Amino acid sequence: MTDAKTRIDETVKAHDVVLYMKGTKEMPQCGFSSRVAGVLNYMGVDFADVNVLADEEIRQGIKDYSDWPTIPQLYVKGEFVGGCDIITEMTLSGELDTLFSENGVTFDKDAAEKIREANA
Amino acid sequence: MSITEQIRTRLQEAFDPRELEVVDDSESHRGHAGYREGGESHFNVRIRAAAFKGQNRLARHRAVHAALGDIVPRIHALALDIDA
Repeated sequence: MTDAKTRIDETVKAHDVVLYMKGTKEMPQCGFSSRVAGVLNYMGVDFADVNVLADEEIRQGIKDYSDWPTIPQLYVKGEFVGGCDIITEMTLSGELDTLFSENGVTFDKDAAEKIREANA
Repeated sequence: MSITEQIRTRLQEAFDPRELEVVDDSESHRGHAGYREGGESHFNVRIRAAAFKGQNRLARHRAVHAALGDIVPRIHALALDIDA
């Protein structure tokens, strides 16, 4: 395993929910990263954020790790879930709620419903 | 050939879609990271093809990424709306 892969492996296994993004959850630096971080924040999910702009090795490494060419990337219990489009679709369909529930991730169900109502 | 046309051509050949829409959305990202003068940095793709039947979300996205090949690393953003 390369060093980047080892570091990513450790991070995604150390936290139930990890978002690799451009910027931080407090200050996203890209609209797509901002959208996913915003959903997680709004749903009250406790997640670790990794700013790929601060680490060139991880910026490329995360794409190799998941064989996925874009950022943001969401991981739950060490498994890659998807990028901005997929997380948006899963939020609106309720699949993200199910995924969190099945993995014991705490979230605010009412907030999730509010997102769906606002986008209905 | 513009990148928009290249994307359209490759997806057409790979999936024979019944609906295919490729939009250069770069202007709406003007001033943001990754924007470049002349556009062709941010794309929205909407595709409907029987080829995606039975595939989950990740598989569908991966299939589109694979079909686009070297175009993906050349552009800044690609928003995909995929269904069978």
